Amino acid sequence: MTEISRREFTVGTVTGIAAAALPAVAEPAAAALPAVPRTAIRLSVNGVDHRMEVEDRWTLAELLRDHLQLTGTKVGCDRGECGACTVLLDGAPVYACSYLAVWADGRAIRTVEGLARGERLDPLQQAFIDHDGPQCGFCTSGQLMSARALLDRNAHPSGDEIRAALTGNLCRCSNYERYVEAVLAAAHGVGGPRRP
Amino acid sequence: MNRVGRPTPRIDAVARVTGRATYTGDVALPGMLYARVLRSPHPHARIRGIDLAAARALPGVRAILTHENCRVVWTSGDSRRPRYLFNNPVRFAGDAVAAVAALDRHVAEEALGRIVVDYDVLGFVLDPEEALQEGAVEIHPGGNLSPDAEGKREPEVYRRGDVEAGLRSAERVFQDRYTSVHHNNAQLEPRVSVAQWDGDKLTVHASTQGISNCQTEIAKDLGLRPENVRVVCAYMGGGFGNKNQCHDFDLMAALLAREAGAPVKLEFTRKEDFVAVHGRWPTRQYYKVGVSGDGRLSAIQLRGYSGMGPYRKGSGSIAGTELYACPNVETVIHPVHTNMAVSANFRGPAYPQGVFGIESTMDQIAHELKIDPVEFRLRNLTRKYHDELPYTSNGLEECIRRGADAFGWKQRWHPPGADPGSLKRGVGMAMGAFSARLGRSSAVLRVDSSGRYFVHVGVTDVGTGAKTTMALLAAEELGIEIAQVEVVSGDTDRCPYSVGESGSRTTGFTGQAVVTAARDLRGQVAAKGLPRPG
Repeated sequence: MTEISRREFTVGTVTGIAAAALPAVAEPAAAALPAVPRTAIRLSVNGVDHRMEVEDRWTLAELLRDHLQLTGTKVGCDRGECGACTVLLDGAPVYACSYLAVWADGRAIRTVEGLARGERLDPLQQAFIDHDGPQCGFCTSGQLMSARALLDRNAHPSGDEIRAALTGNLCRCSNYERYVEAVLAAAHGVGGPRRP
Repeated sequence: MNRVGRPTPRIDAVARVTGRATYTGDVALPGMLYARVLRSPHPHARIRGIDLAAARALPGVRAILTHENCRVVWTSGDSRRPRYLFNNPVRFAGDAVAAVAALDRHVAEEALGRIVVDYDVLGFVLDPEEALQEGAVEIHPGGNLSPDAEGKREPEVYRRGDVEAGLRSAERVFQDRYTSVHHNNAQLEPRVSVAQWDGDKLTVHASTQGISNCQTEIAKDLGLRPENVRVVCAYMGGGFGNKNQCHDFDLMAALLAREAGAPVKLEFTRKEDFVAVHGRWPTRQYYKVGVSGDGRLSAIQLRGYSGMGPYRKGSGSIAGTELYACPNVETVIHPVHTNMAVSANFRGPAYPQGVFGIESTMDQIAHELKIDPVEFRLRNLTRKYHDELPYTSNGLEECIRRGADAFGWKQRWHPPGADPGSLKRGVGMAMGAFSARLGRSSAVLRVDSSGRYFVHVGVTDVGTGAKTTMALLAAEELGIEIAQVEVVSGDTDRCPYSVGESGSRTTGFTGQAVVTAARDLRGQVAAKGLPRPG
């Protein structure tokens, strides 16, 4: 057992309260709820360490959205088809709706909330704004995370490489070309190739 | 113009790229319960009984609604007869049978699995033409042809001239049949509603294109005063046309929340969205078209069948014949009840399927007459609505001519079969149309002592950038920077009436209201200055 730092302890406590708060509102329910297998995990989310007990049936998307209040990660289909829930797991893009929270034990997660440094946007976020990537915006977080994973392993991708990297992210508004242009711009700057 | 027409980032762009934009499903309230819906696996069945004992015994279950304890009518779910939130008999695979609110979504789902429904399975019919045949299963008493607005069981008929005479006088008569299928809206954001009561006041966080419609319909169906219903939609993950009324899950969430005494978030799975939320009506279209020796239309006859599902939520019209100049036209459209998923408005409600049919028909006629399809359209397009009422302006002919030039139509088009190789390439053309209805529009503009302007509009931004458009129009008219404008939208407590983001009306209607109000405010500020603080 590693030592619990003050930060981890605080975060863990807050999370515990949040998780316990729902049953506590209506009845002394925690004990009355059916016994659900739970597992203690620790994981890092956007650089913050968490130590918490999760239900084995929770997906990573549920953990992030409902228990860590990181709702920037969206769930579109909940079955690994649309890519709206894409987050980075140790730097690689995964569908958080199809990845169990317990599997994230010991791993580092990065979500859309972890892209900006304070008010300073990630170059991808700025490029998405400049190229009007988000229309309804529901797929945007997933597009950003897939693009971030690409640029982290290939700083200067071609248009085709970008399309391949974003192929698992559906956009019902069909703004695919602008997303590709935005990633190109973020990767190559204004002087880079204009045509994807 | 200083602002309009220049590239402008969306005013909410940062929220959209940082994950801070709050969509309906992101709303979390203290003590909030989660709700799920149990659906009929049968396309048609009478419910003999529902046993809720095992579900109620599950710890964490807070409220269950079925047709036995909930007789609320969902008014916008059917314009012809009462459609309940929970119907018996159930009339399509996906018709709601029960809704459960529980401490979390897993408990709610487990509770659904413990509900025992005793179904008396009935016969069903899925095809609209079969549904009209003698001996077909009757989905509602009186037959499967859905009644018109007056309650008469007659198809929707449009006539001008004498179509039989037009067909008789034709040099050639062409016949065709086209079929279009049910389309799902498929917006990326799942269906969700969050309801909360504060005494008699209900707040519903909805994913809606029309907060005002949603408000008045929820109030009507729940017997509330409209001012006691607040509908909020801060961000929404795609509209696509089928979200301009309140949905059944908005009402279910509200009723479960009242029953349980706690806020309720009701979520649909993606599968439920596909089977239980209405899509575009499927059609079968039979065309009979007469053409004179000069290649002009002498008659268009359309006999159409629209599958509405078991409830009459939309018109079932089939549009498109109004694109053509023709003295003799007859369209006879049958909106038919089937045991398929429900159909109603979805993006240009009657047009894509109708235009597909009429334009495919015309293309085939041009081909058989060996007339260039562009030339055939130019020879036959109308300059009047339904060939009768002149348009105020109509650039269709010029659009086609200039488009064909720009495209290089003459060089690129060739008749089918002209390319001898095994690899075929082709180009084609079709016309389209869309008619939007009028509606009211309103906007309220305020300015404070520091010169900050507030634009209150009832719009929700379905992804078109409506909030930004409203800010731009206000800034333009007021002669100020867009940064000085704050748009307050998507909240019936804070915004005036809006017709809803449908029919391509937002910029033209609400935008005009913003311009008018901004002009008024600018005059007031010029005359009296900014308001004094305090």
